[in-house]
Amino acid sequence: MDTKHISSAFDRDLQGAQAMLMTMAAQVETAMLRAAEALATNNLEMAETVRKNDRAIDELEEGIKIDCARILATRSPNAGDLRTVLTVMSIASNLERCGDYAKNIAKRTSVLADAHPVKDVSPALRRMQKAVVAMMGDALDAYTRRDLEIAQEVRERDREVDELYNTLFRSLLTHMMEEPQSITACMHLHFIAKNIERMGDHTTSVAEQVIYLVTGELPDEDRPKGDLTSLSSPESFGDPA
Amino acid sequence: MDALRTVTRDIDTNSTKISARGVQVHYGDTHAIKDVDVDIKERSVTAFIGPSGCGKSTFLRCINRMNDTIDICRVTGDIRIDGDDIYDRSIDPVQLRARVGMVFQKPNPFPKSIYDNVAYGPKIHGLARSRAEMDEIVERSLRRGAIWDEVKDRLHAPGTGLSGGQQQRLCIARAVATDPEVLLMDEPCSALDPIATAQIEELIDTLREKYTVVIVTHSMQQAARVSQKTAFFHLGNLVEYGDTDDIFTNPKDRRTESYISGRIG
Repeated sequence: MDTKHISSAFDRDLQGAQAMLMTMAAQVETAMLRAAEALATNNLEMAETVRKNDRAIDELEEGIKIDCARILATRSPNAGDLRTVLTVMSIASNLERCGDYAKNIAKRTSVLADAHPVKDVSPALRRMQKAVVAMMGDALDAYTRRDLEIAQEVRERDREVDELYNTLFRSLLTHMMEEPQSITACMHLHFIAKNIERMGDHTTSVAEQVIYLVTGELPDEDRPKGDLTSLSSPESFGDPA
Repeated sequence: MDALRTVTRDIDTNSTKISARGVQVHYGDTHAIKDVDVDIKERSVTAFIGPSGCGKSTFLRCINRMNDTIDICRVTGDIRIDGDDIYDRSIDPVQLRARVGMVFQKPNPFPKSIYDNVAYGPKIHGLARSRAEMDEIVERSLRRGAIWDEVKDRLHAPGTGLSGGQQQRLCIARAVATDPEVLLMDEPCSALDPIATAQIEELIDTLREKYTVVIVTHSMQQAARVSQKTAFFHLGNLVEYGDTDDIFTNPKDRRTESYISGRIG
């Protein structure tokens, strides 16, 4: 809806909450990028920055929720306005979780600095991170433009992230079996991969919120799921052959 | 999932109580209602919303032929209750209004006792054969109006001495005393405070077990709370009619969206 409310304060309230969401989104995207960069280049200073900045992200989320609660209480929004408020709250939660995962990756980066190095895993992690950061950028783009097509496309792309995760899971298991001294490092790398995979899920949820915002209906649960690792045992995946 | 939902908005029955086709209303040269088609379900609450002058009250007043009392008003088209054409020559408007009760914006009890206010309709329609039967009708009606406990000890005190909210519930009791099938409410809460409003809304929710309720309201939140179906009127047209949940979360027409979200449409 491009027309203005009769009460201009209502417009300001809605714009305020959405502006705060965009600020938060920018900070979370930065955190995701920096966490990836810090891990790839072993940059502990950058990892520390990511950890420190997470508090600001949490505070923004808090602020968004308070603003949305106030809008719900005082304006009783309907229709598109109601969906906007609900979507803003939901996306803020997704972004907050992504911020936490970035922080967790940064923490593990500092631990990994002293651990036994693991070969050949970095490029795959890097690919995964790139894919998720790009998805998040597009999901947020879909939000600002209320673009259904981009949102649906982002939702489909989560499958690639899941598949990259499956591959990483398999190769980490192989590493651990071949070189038991790499288990500590591999466990951390596995949690990092899982964090990135979860970021992908939250990004998908952002895209689904955009679909709800635009159409009024949440998409069906028929999205293809690519993460099969919960169904697997070391025997089925870990055979080095 | 559905079993976990605390609010059931389902309508028990699917049968149509009131059916309107091609209804037009003119006040002199003014075209107030333009070709309205609508089917209102039995034992449900239907809300009519829309800006002032959109025709929602005019349309409501067609359902019990209250517009007949206005000389320059002309109603054409077809309105049926249970399949009977209510504008047919053979229909007596007074009898019709016993079947289709009405509650107005401002509580308007007669300057009589509480008892006589309720007994008035049954008396002129000859619904009670004895004093005992009348007592029973009065008690039952006041109970349905959710006001019995507050007035049972002063049934012969004047109805005008009650508070605004109590007066409105008395008027609802009076409207149900003739055992109507349909209850029309024209902004029944607009003169009431929030507590009295909540009591009336609670009452409306119980009334739909027995009656088909049609309510005109300026409070969008009230429409969203009490009704299962909502009709949005604009400039004499019925713009959108559908399940209340859909109208308030995802309306199909831009004019509906503009109106319910408080925008200049």
